[in-house]
Amino acid sequence: MNSDPMNTEPIWKSWFARHGAKLLLFARQQSRRPDEAEDLLQEAFVRIWRLYGHTGEVSPGLVYRAIRRLAIDWARSIDRRQARENRVALDSPLSFSFERTLEQDERKQALLRAVERLPDQQKEVVTLKIWGELTFDEIARTLDESLNTVASRYRYALEKLRDWVPEEMEGKKEDTSQSS
Amino acid sequence: MNEFEKLEAELKELRPLPPSEEFTARLETALGDAGKVAMCCLPEDEDNEQAVSPPSHVTDAHKLISFPRLALYAGLVSGGLAAVWAGVFYLSGLIAPDGPGIEPGMEDAPLVVQNPMPVRPLMRLDDPDSPLHGLSLDQIQDVSVMPVSGWLDPQINERFLRMVDEGVYQQPGGLPARRVRHFFMDETLWSHPASDTRILSTTPREEVFLIELETY
Repeated sequence: MNSDPMNTEPIWKSWFARHGAKLLLFARQQSRRPDEAEDLLQEAFVRIWRLYGHTGEVSPGLVYRAIRRLAIDWARSIDRRQARENRVALDSPLSFSFERTLEQDERKQALLRAVERLPDQQKEVVTLKIWGELTFDEIARTLDESLNTVASRYRYALEKLRDWVPEEMEGKKEDTSQSS
Repeated sequence: MNEFEKLEAELKELRPLPPSEEFTARLETALGDAGKVAMCCLPEDEDNEQAVSPPSHVTDAHKLISFPRLALYAGLVSGGLAAVWAGVFYLSGLIAPDGPGIEPGMEDAPLVVQNPMPVRPLMRLDDPDSPLHGLSLDQIQDVSVMPVSGWLDPQINERFLRMVDEGVYQQPGGLPARRVRHFFMDETLWSHPASDTRILSTTPREEVFLIELETY
């Protein structure tokens, strides 16, 4: 038996490689500030991994829930509320949270702008469903809402996106023609 | 595909940015020892790596072996071996009576099975006696440079340090009380006589006592 102790890797690294990007996206959405998002994700992940990491498998839903609850707690603190009020100029659009490729077409950009316009409650459901790959049941538990509520929010969000993407594309064309 | 499904597919094509390496390093520091409790084994050599490696487009982190999957592979390999052995015994039972016969003195000779495919272990199985997922007792011994067996039962000792009187405390909805805080140090000592090794763990602890005051 090869007992080379160097031939091992902490499990959390492979777990985080699988789930880190979507957790960070959710944290960005909850905090709305990139610098705070990383703090939020770190705090939530470390808390959950210290509790359940010894099992080698942790449900991502637990970390999503911890991120949301921490975000609410942090928002309640006076210092952070003041920072939140002063943060307008620091806000970054949702598109900065996604990989940008050269071939990213106009429609995808319009799609992201449309997602950005969604109400926060619908946006978080879309984020958890599409990029977090959670079921409606898991989303309901993460957001402390009923199953029907999250499913409705998701449906309304998709209806809005369907209507808004063409608008966004038209708007972009108008902007381009005006600037030229 | 309806329009919503198309929309969902388009959204899924957008990939969120992965966390930066700096952030992952920060996370590793923040996790400390908690990050090292659960480990997984990397492939031992190139052959094994080929045997279990995912497609090249998968990230490096995904090249780590998944234990449930490896357990499945091990189950399949052992199942295959069992089937080969069962087949050989079955065929030997059928053929032997009508066959050329076994030479005298060879009845007890071991049956040699020519396995068409060399079966190599694909993984290191989990050691059921190991307290750490993915590491066997031998590996833990190598990593910790300490023996894993032969330890005596730990000796636990509670050491009282000091007492602090924090004054009168108004209990919510109750009588006023004097609050007294006791400070302890809990000590646990593990001993390994064979290697003359001792490990002492100390944990501070506080206890608060409320002594109700009599009101006149």
